[in-house]
Amino acid sequence: MKKIISLTINDQAYEIAVESNKTLADMLRYDLDLTGTKKGCDTGDCGACTVILNGDAVNSCLVLAVQTDGAVIETIEGLATDQGLHPIQEAFVEKGAIQCGFCSPGMIMSTKNLLDKNPNPTEQEIRKGISGNLCRCTGYQKIFEAIDSQKP
Amino acid sequence: MLLPKFELHEPVSIEDALELKQSHGTDARLMAGGTDVLVLLKKKVIFTDTIISLLQIKELSQITQTNDTVIIGTCATMAQLSASPVIQEKFSAIKTACQSLGSHLIRNRATIGGNCCNASPAGDTIPALMIYDAKVMIESADNKRELPIKDFFKGPGKTDLTPNEILTGFKLPIPPANSGAHYIQLGKRQSSEINVVNVGSFLEYDPDTKKVLNTRIALGSVAATPIRAEKAENLLKGKPAEESSFYDAGEAARKEDCKPIDDFRGSAAYRQAMIGVLTKRTLQAAFEQAK
Ligand SMILES: Cc1cc2nc3c(=O)[nH]c(=O)nc-3n(C[C@H](O)[C@H](O)[C@H](O)COP(=O)(O)OP(=O)(O)OC[C@H]3O[C@@H](n4cnc5c(N)ncnc54)[C@H](O)[C@@H]3O)c2cc1C
Ligand code: FES
Ligand code: FES
Repeated sequence: MKKIISLTINDQAYEIAVESNKTLADMLRYDLDLTGTKKGCDTGDCGACTVILNGDAVNSCLVLAVQTDGAVIETIEGLATDQGLHPIQEAFVEKGAIQCGFCSPGMIMSTKNLLDKNPNPTEQEIRKGISGNLCRCTGYQKIFEAIDSQKP
Repeated sequence: MLLPKFELHEPVSIEDALELKQSHGTDARLMAGGTDVLVLLKKKVIFTDTIISLLQIKELSQITQTNDTVIIGTCATMAQLSASPVIQEKFSAIKTACQSLGSHLIRNRATIGGNCCNASPAGDTIPALMIYDAKVMIESADNKRELPIKDFFKGPGKTDLTPNEILTGFKLPIPPANSGAHYIQLGKRQSSEINVVNVGSFLEYDPDTKKVLNTRIALGSVAATPIRAEKAENLLKGKPAEESSFYDAGEAARKEDCKPIDDFRGSAAYRQAMIGVLTKRTLQAAFEQAK
């Protein structure tokens, strides 16, 4: 049975009917065409599906869409504006922190959540902050440098 | 990976949840953060056509303090617990355990009750709750009971809960002065799920005689459930609070208390050796905190 939920995604209001067994990742990708959010493992291990739910970064593959009724969600699509890419995205491009790019949306959303909560993280805090996001290309060092460059 | 079809109930009170559990019994699966349930459903390890979510029941996620006790609601998340002032000040080993579980993404969803009810021998929060002598609070539609947490686990994935029961929280006595505790987990990847071994220790000492008054040591990943190292505890009580006593307790835990197995995460011999080391280390750190 479908249930109608209303929620805010990237400052835009949505009302949508979803099945109880649909994950937030699948609703974003298949119902709302917000395919920036990726799915790697679908079991919480890789972080490719990271979005910010009510201010906290979560694995959207392990959240039921129906349980986001009333929620405020940020996805990778919400970062760039008419003026161009978000500073974190710029830094990832600049520092070579993106190779194949599959991990990048999740990695960047984890980064955004980290910096929103802690604008001046230590090296340890940065490395811990992205420890739920796997990257099979960059070896993490360039990602670390991109995040580090965002400190005041 | 598709989730099977199920009906989702989201009760807003404990009474409603208990009534639902009563009428559905074993057919219904309780869910808190869902970080175990949803993975197991996707992998078709468990099956259900009814899920009762506990997340809308506000009181279940509260952490409340009275004079001599703290009650942790079953739905308190790892992130919430590690940020809680009373947990940080009085129950630092629980804070450390909560920070050791999964990644920050998982910790924003994973609950302490879910971790216990999942009953993994390696569950991170369990040894930490054990060393503070927590009681589990259990309710069904027509009964309420409390149980020392060391008696809650019956085997891998098995607890003392009956089909109609819900775990509502944990009751913890506030630790006495001159006590301290510490928790260490050893795993392969910090943010992945399973520990090779995990150990928690609590120690209370007498500043006049410099002797150990009381201690609780809990070991994870070395038996079918997390266990208390009772031989080591008994050996240490009354001994001088110093490194050699902690070493002896570690040796007792290694030789007498634990019965680990070989698996792909680590050999029994390695686990056993690490129990000795980590028991000593957690006791030493607990003592530093107690001083
Ligand atoms: C990527 C990943 C990494 C992980 N890393 C770790 C780790 O490092 N250490 C670790 O210990 N675990 C880890 N886990 C496992 C899991 O996240 C934890 O066990 C978590 O605490 C479960 O909490 P939950 O709220 O998500 O439980 P849920 O999945 O909602 O429930 C877990 C079980 O408890 C039952 N249950 C939940 N609440 C109640 C209740 N109140 N009364 C009765 N039954 C109840 C459910 O029916 C289910 O059987 C990891 C999981 C993933 C996906
Ligand atoms: S797709 Fe969600 S964590 Fe991998
Ligand atoms: S850039 Fe390819 S996985 Fe990270």
